[in-house]
Amino acid sequence: MNVKRRRLLLAGASATALVATQAHAQAKVIAVGVSLPLTGPGAATGITTQRTLERGVELINAEGIQIGPDRYTLKLAFYDNKYVPAEAVTIVEKLLADGTRFLISLGSGNSVPVVARTTAVKALQMSYASGKGHLTSPDFPLSFRVAPTNETAYAVYPWLRATYKDVQKTGHMNPSDEAGFTESEDRRMIAEKNGFTNVANEYFKRGSTDFYPVATRLVNAKPDLIDFGGTIGRDQSLGCKALRELGYKGKIMLGYSDAKSFVEVAGADAAEGTLLFDTLVDPQNAQQKELQDWWLKKYGPPFPSFAYSAWDTPFILAMGMKKAQSTDPVKIAEALRGAKWDGLYGPEAFGMKSVYGIDTSITRAIPIAVIKGGKPVQLTTVPWPADV
Amino acid sequence: MTLALQIVTSGLVTGLIYMLIALGVTLLFGIMRVVNFVHGELVMLSAFAVYFLGVGELGLPFALAMLCAAAAAAAVGVICQYVLFRPMHYDILNCFIIGIGASFAIRSASWAIFGPEPIAIPAIVPGVMNLGGVFIANQRLFAAGLCVVLAIALYLFLHYTRPGKAMRAVEQDREAALLMGISSEQVYVTAFIISAVLAAVGGAMLGSLFGIDPEMGAEPLLKSFIIVQIGGMGSIAGTVIAALFIGLTDSATGTLFGGELAFIIDFAILMLILIVRPRGLFGYDVSH
Repeated sequence: MNVKRRRLLLAGASATALVATQAHAQAKVIAVGVSLPLTGPGAATGITTQRTLERGVELINAEGIQIGPDRYTLKLAFYDNKYVPAEAVTIVEKLLADGTRFLISLGSGNSVPVVARTTAVKALQMSYASGKGHLTSPDFPLSFRVAPTNETAYAVYPWLRATYKDVQKTGHMNPSDEAGFTESEDRRMIAEKNGFTNVANEYFKRGSTDFYPVATRLVNAKPDLIDFGGTIGRDQSLGCKALRELGYKGKIMLGYSDAKSFVEVAGADAAEGTLLFDTLVDPQNAQQKELQDWWLKKYGPPFPSFAYSAWDTPFILAMGMKKAQSTDPVKIAEALRGAKWDGLYGPEAFGMKSVYGIDTSITRAIPIAVIKGGKPVQLTTVPWPADV
Repeated sequence: MTLALQIVTSGLVTGLIYMLIALGVTLLFGIMRVVNFVHGELVMLSAFAVYFLGVGELGLPFALAMLCAAAAAAAVGVICQYVLFRPMHYDILNCFIIGIGASFAIRSASWAIFGPEPIAIPAIVPGVMNLGGVFIANQRLFAAGLCVVLAIALYLFLHYTRPGKAMRAVEQDREAALLMGISSEQVYVTAFIISAVLAAVGGAMLGSLFGIDPEMGAEPLLKSFIIVQIGGMGSIAGTVIAALFIGLTDSATGTLFGGELAFIIDFAILMLILIVRPRGLFGYDVSH
């Protein structure tokens, strides 16, 4: 074997080794299962969340997550639970059987039925969901709620009390499922604590077409304000439209929506004056602007404001991994409980130990908008109450 | 008293809108014994078509947009007939299964194509009518009126025109109609076109009342099946009466006992009728 040939072989062997090393480095992928309603009545929120998560993970993976000498990336696997709890359970059983130990879930009806199972196998679950004690409890130390839901009422109702003195009686309208029952229970309790009288508590089947019957019941109870609680998507617009068509003159408050679509479907007249909790109309900082610009460039208008709420989750997960310097869900959960960070909305934290006995529910300022002249307008931002 | 009148008015108006969707379903079943699960998707696609033609950049007048959507729906209906149901020889079970599959496929594709945000066709007749404390949106009254006109037109077509009589002949006895020189295939095409046009108008009306998203056809289709089953598969008169009955029942139970009970009561009524009279109130025995 001459020198030239030996060098060539050596170079070949080195190249093979390098490729093998790179392949090994690329193999450090962390699988994250995502259970969302991509069809069915929650699809609008589900698709928005899917697109937003994809973008977030794209940015995270460009840098990678450095844990000791190893660089990790996240790989999202999306599954459509159709907002059917049985589907969600099947999806999560499959994910856990495949060895996935990180789950992102949307909707309380899809998240609550799986939390005992994820806790049992020590998988980390991050839910965009209400579900209060059913998801946030010392019994579920690896379960985190990443979007403020029923708890927004802790911030919003004191503000309502101080701002709208003429509002005394509140009514509540919610879907007849886990999310709706939880939202209704919490919001009624918090409303009462703030001196309001609850005069109506109505439920409807998610995805209903005709809201006249439920709206008629609400109008007859004569509330000064109707809180739509866990009502999302098209249901909000149809509920609002039916109430106004039946002559309701009081205030309507809702959240988790894309304000522009809400106005389009409800109609400008019906939507006028509606209060939108946890709703950002326009970007308030550079990061929010960047997200909106990216969406409009990729998907075109309208930009759904729920994308803001969905944004932080993969970054929180990556932060937990870096902080724990581990891919072990138990250690990551330990690092995340009570953690504070600067998120899309400014300072954010996992807290609410005073309510649930564990710091695993997201807390942050709640932006509030109002429909004025047929358009959503930013009204104020309510700080998170210090005692909650 | 005002509450009772509100319940009756809301129920009748909603019932008439469901009636239009249900008429398309019962027409196909009466003539071909085909339970068309794609009907709800035709409702949805037509609503999107009216929106993009009438509200979007083209900005066509509403009537023209609805005509274009009806023509497109008719074309899709005939394509469905030739691609989905004809190869199955209109076998009730096979058509049932392939219809469900196609419906899910169209709905899922629609989420990807049209995106997640709901939209709506603006009301043609905006405003609300207040009749002594009974409120009803003008657009609902307009939609209900249009549904009545179309139901009457369908009745006149079936009873007083040559193609209509041919359809009834095929419905009553396919073999005898064939011996009389009536082409059943031609009748099937006509039935699919009429059914699709009814779906298109229903879609435009629902889109202006309840907004548009890829799921919008699901609940009206489910209601239609309940209505058609109660009225009797294939019976136009039965469908009209059952639609009004279901509209009133929904309105009364929803208002008096809460929204969730309406569906339970619908199904309870359906089960009762199926037990007592399996062919529905005005239907006939499918095996004959």
